[in-house]
Amino acid sequence: MNRALGLAGLLVSFGGCVIGIGVLVAGLRRGRPHLLRLALPYALVVLAGSVLSTIAMQRALFMRDYTVEFVFDHGSSATPVLFNVATMWSALEGSILLWGLILAGFTVAVAVKFRSRLEDPLVAWAMVTMFAVGIFFTGLMLTAANPFRGVVPPVGYDGPGPNPLLQNHILMAFHPPMLYLGYVGFTVPFAFAVAALATGRIGEGWLVETRRWTLLAWGFLTAGIVLGAWWSYEVLGWGGYWKWDPVENASFLPWLTGTAYLHSVMVQERRGMLRVWNLSLLCATFALTILGTFLTRSGVVESVHAFSSGSVGPILLGFFAVVVVVSVGLIGWRADELRSPGRIDSPVSREGAFLANNVLFAAFAFVVLLGTVFPLIVEALNGERLSVGVPFFSRMTMPIGFALLTLMAVAPVLPWRKGTGEVLRDRLWWPAWGGVATLLFALAVGATGPTVLLAFGLAGFAAGSAIRQLVLATRRQGWRGFVGRANGGMVVHLGTILIAVAFAASTSYIRTAEVTLAPGATATVAGHEFTYLGSRTVERSNRVEVITDVRVDGGQVFEPRLNRYRMGGMTLGTPSVRVGPTHDVYLSVSSSPDPVTGEVTIRVIIQPLVVWLWVGGIVMFVGTLLSLFPGRRRDPLAPASAPVPAASGETVA
Amino acid sequence: MTAGRHRWRQQWWAWSLMAVVVATALWLSIDTTPRTGVDDSRRYAIATQLKCLQCVGESVAASQSPLAVQFREEIDAQMRQGRTDDEILAFFSQRYGQEVLLSPPSSGLGSLVWIVPVVAVAAAGLGLASTFGRWRREVGARSTEDDRELVARALRHRDAPGDDGPGGESADRTGS
Repeated sequence: MNRALGLAGLLVSFGGCVIGIGVLVAGLRRGRPHLLRLALPYALVVLAGSVLSTIAMQRALFMRDYTVEFVFDHGSSATPVLFNVATMWSALEGSILLWGLILAGFTVAVAVKFRSRLEDPLVAWAMVTMFAVGIFFTGLMLTAANPFRGVVPPVGYDGPGPNPLLQNHILMAFHPPMLYLGYVGFTVPFAFAVAALATGRIGEGWLVETRRWTLLAWGFLTAGIVLGAWWSYEVLGWGGYWKWDPVENASFLPWLTGTAYLHSVMVQERRGMLRVWNLSLLCATFALTILGTFLTRSGVVESVHAFSSGSVGPILLGFFAVVVVVSVGLIGWRADELRSPGRIDSPVSREGAFLANNVLFAAFAFVVLLGTVFPLIVEALNGERLSVGVPFFSRMTMPIGFALLTLMAVAPVLPWRKGTGEVLRDRLWWPAWGGVATLLFALAVGATGPTVLLAFGLAGFAAGSAIRQLVLATRRQGWRGFVGRANGGMVVHLGTILIAVAFAASTSYIRTAEVTLAPGATATVAGHEFTYLGSRTVERSNRVEVITDVRVDGGQVFEPRLNRYRMGGMTLGTPSVRVGPTHDVYLSVSSSPDPVTGEVTIRVIIQPLVVWLWVGGIVMFVGTLLSLFPGRRRDPLAPASAPVPAASGETVA
Repeated sequence: MTAGRHRWRQQWWAWSLMAVVVATALWLSIDTTPRTGVDDSRRYAIATQLKCLQCVGESVAASQSPLAVQFREEIDAQMRQGRTDDEILAFFSQRYGQEVLLSPPSSGLGSLVWIVPVVAVAAAGLGLASTFGRWRREVGARSTEDDRELVARALRHRDAPGDDGPGGESADRTGS
């Protein structure tokens, strides 16, 4: 029943996409507007199919319908309700199902948003692209990654449940959907980029149409990445939240190119320049979401987050290749029309700063991509096995991070066209002293190391610039000084700066120790006292918990646990964290108490400012939402982009 | 917000003072305590450089697997013998191969991962610099009398200052 419903849903989605494309292409070629208006009904059909198959999957999980292979492999009668819902995205097939559902949702959202303009070839081509991506994902589910494959369960069978790592923390219910909203959201600007290239309307119109969509996708991706880091911190038991793991990098890559795009697109809107570059960034962002899915879903790289499954890898890689070839082909085809008139007058200008921003983000993305795939390349070339890990990424990305902080300080005060030293000195005076004050404050509270201190100083400088802009904007516009792209963007900057500071502080000043304590004994680590009170065992439906009671500083009792899952016998530690504004105290245990002596080994990790990572993430998301509101209308006489054909007859390659 | 009101912001000594404060603070922050002997933070620093060969993508510092515990004990033993960080890392790579080091090697094919990004960024920087140079050399379209008249008329109609981004300052109000 569930299998039949699910497969029917998939077929409806697939059929909706295929027929939708057929109808739209026919309408475009023969110039029949009434055919183009059918995009919305077909999008609704696709969504209905996706919803049906998602309901079928949730129903199968809820009923523990083990005739569905996915439930057979990942379901269990012992899984608590919330994690049972989240089981859908705890493994490959179900996660593609979620992807398809979100994609269908976005397809309908685009069709509804542009319902009055469905006859416009630009919108029609965008819908064609959305349906084409839909064909790929529904097709994938009908073939290599079928979530509704059948199996005959033995009598009395009960499944193993999802990977214990994924049912160890509630954030697992929110992190993947958030991330997918980001990944899939980038399909919309990509679709419009393809449409702009296909119709030849490569002016700035499509950029403005998709501005909010791109921002929204970026905001979700940001939130998804931060939630993922938070999950790692709360679950993995070593106090870390980011370790440049291939899967983390896979989500970070589209974020980097997407961030570059959000900045450089402003140059195009204002000056009509960088057209090829912006299109390439958008296409790269979308392609990187597919490459990331390939890296994490094909098992070519090893990672805690990866799920490997045989034949999906080559298909995803093939789709990645198609996306790249189509993007490059279309951009090459329109190359002559894309050549932009005008030039940047001075590197010391807003557009010059955006250009520098793009070089840095592109370099950042390149370093991350190279570091992620490099071990594979070397092993393929000469069979040598080597690792590219945290030390590499830290060393290579640190200078880029410093340069980005500096740019974040200087760029917001730069005028368009051409800035002068005089203007810079005037506008940067207070932000610069903000940086100096931050540095002196850090020194006063005992921070050491010139590199970290420099990072703090630059962060203060950048924060000063962002605050200066917000103060000026609110003075002129009241509360509207916080909304709109420019002002909301400054809020996002503040969130980024918080994360940069927290990252620098927590990785540089981390203190770790392992203490072995008998019941009642006390140890002191970095000025904190830890008293081991004893252990107790609690039985849950899906696991047995061995709880270690530790009193911290004579106050509250913290309970790092060991969870032994019934199915598969996997044992996972769950840390217990005392969160504080200045530093977190993180406790984890890796083994049960010694049966003879009753001693237990507790790992203590003390990291400063960790909580500000999550606060920074929230600030970034709020800033993104503020940016979505329309800001103050631009002065219609302010110079906007130049017209498409170079009016002056001057062309610059 | 005009430059005239804050003339001292334009003075070289004001900015030099700031530079001196920063340099002094950075110099004071240099940590001179020697990194020798057995020490938790030193063990952690070395362990983060080593890959736990039994685990999936974890460092020896992060992992709780028996091999990682054994590695950490070995680091302690080596620290007690007075070896330097580099010597300890070399010891592990000799025994377990290059793969155990999370930093790729600085020689051979593996060194490309360090070199290629630096070369690429340098090339991009040079490319941008030469583009700006060409833009500067090229004479742009010359404005005619009609163009200037058009601009002047537009400016007369303009009552609100332009929004050139956050803060909405325009260059013409603040100097140049």
